[in-house]
Order: sequence, then structure tokens, then C-alpha cells
Amino acid sequence: MTSVTGAALSASLGASLLAAVAGAALPRRVRPAGAGLCTAVAGAAAVVAGVAAMTGRSWSAWLPELLPLAGVRLAVDPLGGLFIAVTGAVAVCAAVYGVGYARPPRDGHGHGLDGRTVQAVLPLFVAAMLLVPAAASVSTFLVAWELMALASLLLVVAEHRHRASVGTAGLWYAVMTHLGLVAILAGLAGLAAAAHGESFDRLRAAAEGLSPAVRGAVFVATFAGFASKAGIIPLHVWLPRAHPEAPSHVSALMSAAMVNLGGYGIVRVGFDLLGGGPVWWWLLVLAAGAVSALYGILQAAVATDLKRLLAYSTCENMGLVLVGLGAGGLLLTAGARPPAALALTAALLHVVNHAAFKTLLFLAAGSVLRATGLRDLDALGGLRTRMPLTTAAFAVGALAASALPLGNGFVSEWLLLQSLIGSLGEGGTISAVTMPVAVAALALSAGLAVATFVKAFGTGFLARPRTPQAQAAAESPATMGVGMGVAAACCLALALVPAFTAPGLAGAVQVVLPGQDALTGQVTLRLAAASSTVSPLLIAVSVVGAVALLRIAMIRRARRRARLWDCGMGPLNARMEYTATSFAEPLQRVFDDVLAPETDLNVTPLAESAYLVESVTYRARVGDRIERRLYRPVVAAAAAVGEAARRLANGSVHRYLAYGFGTFTGVLILLAVTR
Amino acid sequence: MSDVTYVRLLDLACGAFLLAAVLVLWRRDLAAIVRLFAIQGAALAALVAVLGVHEGLDGHGAELLALGAGLAVLRAVVLPRLLRRAIVGGDVRETEPLVNVAASLVVAAGLALLSYAVTRPVVALEPSPAVRAVPVALTVVLIGFFVLVTRRRALSQVVGFLLVDNGITAVAFLTTSGVPLIVELGVSLDVLLAVLVLQVLTARMRAAFGGTDLDDLRELRD
Repeated sequence: MTSVTGAALSASLGASLLAAVAGAALPRRVRPAGAGLCTAVAGAAAVVAGVAAMTGRSWSAWLPELLPLAGVRLAVDPLGGLFIAVTGAVAVCAAVYGVGYARPPRDGHGHGLDGRTVQAVLPLFVAAMLLVPAAASVSTFLVAWELMALASLLLVVAEHRHRASVGTAGLWYAVMTHLGLVAILAGLAGLAAAAHGESFDRLRAAAEGLSPAVRGAVFVATFAGFASKAGIIPLHVWLPRAHPEAPSHVSALMSAAMVNLGGYGIVRVGFDLLGGGPVWWWLLVLAAGAVSALYGILQAAVATDLKRLLAYSTCENMGLVLVGLGAGGLLLTAGARPPAALALTAALLHVVNHAAFKTLLFLAAGSVLRATGLRDLDALGGLRTRMPLTTAAFAVGALAASALPLGNGFVSEWLLLQSLIGSLGEGGTISAVTMPVAVAALALSAGLAVATFVKAFGTGFLARPRTPQAQAAAESPATMGVGMGVAAACCLALALVPAFTAPGLAGAVQVVLPGQDALTGQVTLRLAAASSTVSPLLIAVSVVGAVALLRIAMIRRARRRARLWDCGMGPLNARMEYTATSFAEPLQRVFDDVLAPETDLNVTPLAESAYLVESVTYRARVGDRIERRLYRPVVAAAAAVGEAARRLANGSVHRYLAYGFGTFTGVLILLAVTR
Repeated sequence: MSDVTYVRLLDLACGAFLLAAVLVLWRRDLAAIVRLFAIQGAALAALVAVLGVHEGLDGHGAELLALGAGLAVLRAVVLPRLLRRAIVGGDVRETEPLVNVAASLVVAAGLALLSYAVTRPVVALEPSPAVRAVPVALTVVLIGFFVLVTRRRALSQVVGFLLVDNGITAVAFLTTSGVPLIVELGVSLDVLLAVLVLQVLTARMRAAFGGTDLDDLRELRD
């Protein structure tokens, strides 16, 4: 007798495989619809499996025949169930959306997304992401992880024929994701070797008795790997490249589901398998998270590429999740279990919320990209009247991402803040020093997030169109609207009645902290650890009520239409509008030392007089400073070594043979001498 | 045959085997090189036959004798003939090898020393007369490799490759007192195919470049 969880997860994996087959076999005309539908079914089944697991119906399976040597060991506990459910929900939205998105726009030039590769790999990617949290042994976990990395890599480079930058992004992604895999592999293999077994149960049982050095090394190695998957500074470099260049529904899957699994890995290894650790682990996690949150949102605030902005926002949000995890670990080490449970709950809730709004935002950005061919906010504008549905979707997402009330981001960030503030008295000096700093980082990142999303929404969707492409935009097909609608509904539900997630989150947290129930209440959330409450629904009702009252009051007053005041300069045109660059300029100026933007001003005077200007060109670019400082030297060194190595291969067959001969005799001589 | 005769015959065959390989380094005339290769093939066949006779003619020894006959046909007749066909109409001399003849001979001596040093533990395992001859076979492998590295003509290269293969075969027979027929058949077929392919390639090279100096191919890299 299998449980609901097992049946649903098997159904989900089966449907993914079916979708992959459909994507590979169906004719082009019906391919996106067939594969998308099956993937959506797979996602829905995964949601069922995840929810069932979160409500206590754990499930495990042992399939010794499926993989040679180790077999496949699966187990879904509430913690894994949470991530399975999130991935499934994102997959539903992305799959439905993908049906319309893959169809070429009306003007003909197809972008190849209805090709066999993309359509067949996307369901496999979803299946791999479902397997990662379900894995219960090191080998199964690594296989699923690698499958996920490879599938996502194929999807990232789906449009490589259209833009050269896709190839570069794919290369960065491939290198970073495999270095991450190497780190995780080293860490988990070390752990398995020390524990004399590779099933998670065995690791859990043996972790207690390992030496601190082994535990520390395992944690640092796996943390590096998981952090690079989660896009944590300074291992984030692939993220702002790969997410913009991937097809938008793939971006949504990667940004809302895949990066979560980095956080999952940290919880699973750090809290569950290793059972917590010394203070420095969690300080490391907290610091990485705080830096990531700040730097990510700062880069997002000055980004003008819409999808790049969203990608950096992912860095920020995963940073916030890590702040929660780090705080939780710190408090757990100090023995303060209720606040630790609250911090973990906040972090997991933020994972859920981020998945919801980031799916929505990437799908909306994809809708814009499909309609206009543009990602540059400076060239967009005026989409409100042309794409009302997309605009509404983006507005909901932006509200959520800016962590203001009425958005779902607010709830989890508020919880996170409460847990940090509430834990000030706990855990001695270290926590007394770090927690206020973390609170400050959180507050600053929330503030910058507001500026970022006001910029994205204001310059991208409001005002007048700045280019003919934006002028000619038209609303996307219905399936894309449905995809965005589902995501928006999730956002609204999470924003208004977040309490419905409380039992599931409590189950997930109890995997690592048994007996802790951080959140209670239905309409009003009551925190067990800090004596505070929040009621998003009441906030929403009061805000909506106040707005309605204002509208009613406004109707009373006489209104008349008039032209905007333009200082007598004649009609305002699109050139006079705030652009994304100009909106972010003050911020860029404030954070000049951190961002170090490259500006280039060329003034060409007339030949006759130095005082008369013929033309002025101004070019400003905000690069990623961490990438420039940290990665460029490494990449340059690698390139130099590679270039030098070319001299080894000068084309002479004799030289190649001589290498073999020299090595062979060298080894023999070594043998003869050393033995 | 008595043990003394066996050891003498074995040593004679091994000596001819090694000497042929060393002389390949000495001669520059491609036809002579092919002749030397044929002699080496015959020596290898003789070596296998001696081993077979020593085993006794009933059962295993007979199989070894049959193998020896097969080896003689392939390595002393068929392969040399194929190689000789490749010479016709092309270069006849190995002009200026990358390492000159005198130095090559010195290197060959060094390689022989090396293989004696390396195979000491193998010999120590079972110091029978056949196993004592393993260093000779290994020397031939190394010399063949050295020919591959230093000789310019495509034909010399093929001969170098075949020397390596002869050496490996000899090691196999000397250490295991007989390779199963099926394995030896497979290896022989592989070698035959490789030589056929290399012969075609040589002819092609000559057609394309007018010569078979492998360094002419230098421009073909990335």
C-alpha cells in the first residue's frame, strides 16, 4: 500500500517523462500544447505530493535496480515536500505559459522554442528538480542534482542561434554549476566516507560522532556548492547572465524553483544531516546572506535590463533566505529553540513567497519580451494600455517583491525581521552584535527593493512608449495569461491569508527542530517566539477600504481634463520621460564607491571653435564589480595558461608521439628508481 | 627436446627478435626496414613455436604451434608484402630522421637497460627461461615507440607501430605461456586492418603532398 505522497510523486515523475516523450515525438504544431499540458499535470501532481508530505504523510522508497552499485533511495519528508510543492506549483505556471510562449509571434520569426530539444528537456528539468528534494542518499542526490544542472544548461542555451551572449552565459553557467557540483560532491562524499554509508539515515546517525574538522570541511564544501546554485555573492556570477538569456519560462523555473534547492541543500546538510554546528558556520551563512541581499538588490536597482534586474533580485531574495537560515542556526547553537524555529519558518516562507512572485515577474517579463523583443527598460514604456493583463501581473509581482504590505513578500520579510529583532536577547555577545547588523541590512535591502520595483514598473509599463517596438506591443496569447494568472493568484493568496501555509511550514521546520510551532492563528498570525502579531488580511481590507473611501470622496469633486503642465515647452514627448537609468542615477551616485560605474564622456567640438560642440556621447555602464575584481583575474590566468598550452600542440605528429613516449618511459624510470 | 636446447633456441629466437628491432633503427633504406620487419616476424613465430614444442605436442603445445604458424604467415609474409606495396613509387630512404642513427642506437641501449630494470619484479615472480626473456620483448616495445617518435616517413611509422605490436605479443606469450587463440586472432585481425588503413593513408598522403614526411601535416592543426 503506497501513500498519497508516493503515488502523487510517481504520477508526477511519470507525467514528466510522458511530457518529455511528447516533446520529442509530437509534430511541431501540437508539440508545445502536448508537452506543456503533461508538464502542468506533472507539476500539479507534485503539488499534491508535496502538500501530502508536509501534512505528515512521509514516504520512502528503495529501488536497488535503478542505478548500478548504489541504487536509488527516495524519501519525502515535510521539508522535502515543501520544496517539491513549490517546484510543482512553479512548473504548473511555467508549463501553461510555455504553451503560448513557445509559439512564434505573429510576424513569423520563430525563436525555436517549439523545437524538440527544448520541449523534451523542460519536463526532464522539472522531474530532476522534483527528485533533488526527494533523494535520500548521496548518490541519488548527486545524480538528480547533475541531471538538473545539465537539463537547465540545455535550456539556457536554447536561443543560442539568436544572440551571441547566450553562448557566453551558457559557458559561465556550465562552469559555475559544475564547480558547485564538484564542491558538493567532495563534501558529501567526504561525509559518506566518514560515516561509512551513503544513505541519509546513516549520515544522520553518524554525524554526531564525527570530528569537528570533518564536519566543518563538509559544511564549507557543501555550502559553497549550494550557495553557488542559490546565486549567493560572490558565487553568483552565472545568475545575472543565465537568467536573462534563458527563455522566460525557463528563467521562471530556474529563478523560482532551482535556486531554492540551494537553500534546501543548506538546510538538509547543515541542519538535518549534520544536526547543526558551531557558531562560525552560521555566521558565515548569515554574512553571505546579508552581503548577497544588499549587493544583489543594489545591482538590481541600477540594472536597466528587465530580466537582469529580476535575476539580481533573485540574488537578494536568496540572500534573505540565507539570513533567516543563518539566524536560525545561530539561535539553535545558543539553545534558543523557539526563536530559531521562527527564523527558519520565516526563511522557508520567504522561499515560498519568492517562488510565487518571481515566477510571476519572469513570466510577465517574458510576455513583454515576446511582444516587443526588448528587455531594456530604457526602451520600453507605455505598456499599460497595450498589455493590460501583463501590466497587472507585473504590478502584483512588483508589489510583492518590494516587500510592501498587500504583497506576499511583506509577510515573510516581516517575519524575518521579527525573528531577528526578537532574538536580540538570546545567544550572547555574537548574536547581540550580528543581529542588529542583519536587521539593518534587511531594512536597507527592503528599501532598495521598493526603489528597484518602482523603477521597473514605472519606467517599463507606465508613461509613454519610448520606441516603436514598445509602441507596437500587443497582449500575449491566452495561455500565457493563464500561466501568469495562476502565479498571481498564488501571490494574492499568500499575501492575504498566509496562515494556510503555517501547518506545512511547521511540519518542514519540525524535521530539524522537533516540537516547535512558530506560527499560530488563522487570520492573524501569532508568533510563538516574539510576542507580536500581524494580520495581512486586515491590513489589506483596511487599505482597500481607505482607497475606496478616497475614491468616493474624489468623485464628489468636479473633474476636468487638461494638458499636463509642460513649462510652456510644447507637448511633452517620450524623450522627456524618466528612464530607468535616470531614475536609478541618484542611487548610483550614493553607492558610487560600491558600484564603481564606468562612465565615458566624449565631447567633440567643431573644427572652427573649441567652444562650439558638435556632438556629445555619454556612455555609462554599471558592471558587476565583484565579477571584475574576483573573476576576471582568474579567467585571465586560465586563458593565459590555455594560450601557453597551445604551444604544446604545434601540429607535429612526432611531438605528440614524443609526449606519449616521454611520459611512458618517464613512468617506467620512476618505477625503476623508486622501487 | 632437452631443457638446454630449449633455452638455447629460446635465447636465439629472442636475440633475433631484438636484433631485428635494433637494426630497424640502423638502416635507412625503407625496403631493408621492411625486410628486417619480416625477419622479426619470423623470429616471433619461431619463439612461439619453441614455446609450443617445450609445452609438449599434445594439447596446448599444438595450439601454440598452430598460432606460431599463423603468426609467421601474417607477420613474416602478409604484412611485409603489404608494406612493400606501399613503398613502390615513393620515397625509398629514410632521409634525416629526427634523431640520427648513432644516437638512436645509444638510446636503444638505454631503453634495453630501462626495460631490464623495470621488469625485475616480473622476472622475480617466476624466474623461468621464458619469463627471463620478457625484458627483450619490452625493449622491442620501447624501440618501436622510439621509431614512431623519431622517424619521418609514413612507412617507418607503420613499422614502428608494428614493432610495438610485435613486442606486446611477445610479452604476452612469454609471460602467460600461450594466449588463447581467439584473443590472438582478434589482435592479428586488428593489426592487419590497421596496416591496411595506414597503407591507404600513406598512398593518400603521397597523392596529396607528393611525399610521406609526416611533418608536412603540421598545417592541419586547429
